[in-house]
Amino acid sequence: MVNEMPTPHPLADIDPIIHAPARLMILTYLYVVESADYIFIMNMTGLTWGNLATHLNKLEEAGYIEILKTFKGKKPHSSLRMTESGRTAFQNYKQTMQQVLEGLQD
Amino acid sequence: MKEPVSIRSAERKAFQTTVADGLWDVFIGCFLLEFAIAPLLSRSMGDFWSAFIFLPFFGLTYLLIHLVRRNVVAPRIGTFKHGKERQKKLMVFTILMVVLNLVIFLTGLIAYFLFDKFSSGFLMAAILGISILVGFCIAAYFLEYPRLYAYGSMIMAAPLVGEWLYESHGASHHGYPIVFGFSSVLMILAGLVTFIRLLKDHPVLEVPDGE
Repeated sequence: MVNEMPTPHPLADIDPIIHAPARLMILTYLYVVESADYIFIMNMTGLTWGNLATHLNKLEEAGYIEILKTFKGKKPHSSLRMTESGRTAFQNYKQTMQQVLEGLQD
Repeated sequence: MKEPVSIRSAERKAFQTTVADGLWDVFIGCFLLEFAIAPLLSRSMGDFWSAFIFLPFFGLTYLLIHLVRRNVVAPRIGTFKHGKERQKKLMVFTILMVVLNLVIFLTGLIAYFLFDKFSSGFLMAAILGISILVGFCIAAYFLEYPRLYAYGSMIMAAPLVGEWLYESHGASHHGYPIVFGFSSVLMILAGLVTFIRLLKDHPVLEVPDGE
């Protein structure tokens, strides 16, 4: 007798790194721009600096974003950019969520 | 009501931070001031110098707006680079505006050399007005800034109303100082109100040094 593995539920494929609301907001804005600084993301998402820094760390560890350190005149300036793997992960997340939500229709 | 969540609305919201700070309104208003003031100066300075004198004024205004944007707006709103789609759209916008400006310039040249052949100033005023309206409509569409439709309509009407004031009420300088003065003051005020509101709604956001 062959034991058939059950087909995994689409919810199991949802990326937990992206699924957190704050990180989803951050990635949504980074997805539509080429790069942005901390203040822009704080302003768009409404997150505080402490909150934002925590989520950015997780996204950077996952390889979804990169932090570019440059200089504006003599002042250091950091900007955030979504990596290629971040873009792919975001697109996959979007697709999976669409499948899941379509399955939940009345 | 909560705003809809979509990639497009997120991109639009991000993009609008670059145009909706009121400073463009102030710049356009300052630019229009030339049409109001230059005719008044032309008697004492001549046509060329009365227009030329505004170039350093435009330069200073632009520099001032650039500095305000960098030192006042950026610490509140932040900065970003446009995504690829937006960059393409802005490129198309730039090309269209260059073409339109060439058309306006050529129209101006024709008007200058053939002015005597037109029986009424209304025709030239209408051509100038329509060209300006088209420019503002293109800008309003591409920059997603609906206020520019209103500005375009106002500027299109200005030369016609000016000409009417001149012909029926004897307003000096084809009525330009009145109609363009009124339009430019309105734009500068609208821009300043938007800018002050932005300052009130967006306090300076603190991030640790070096970030």
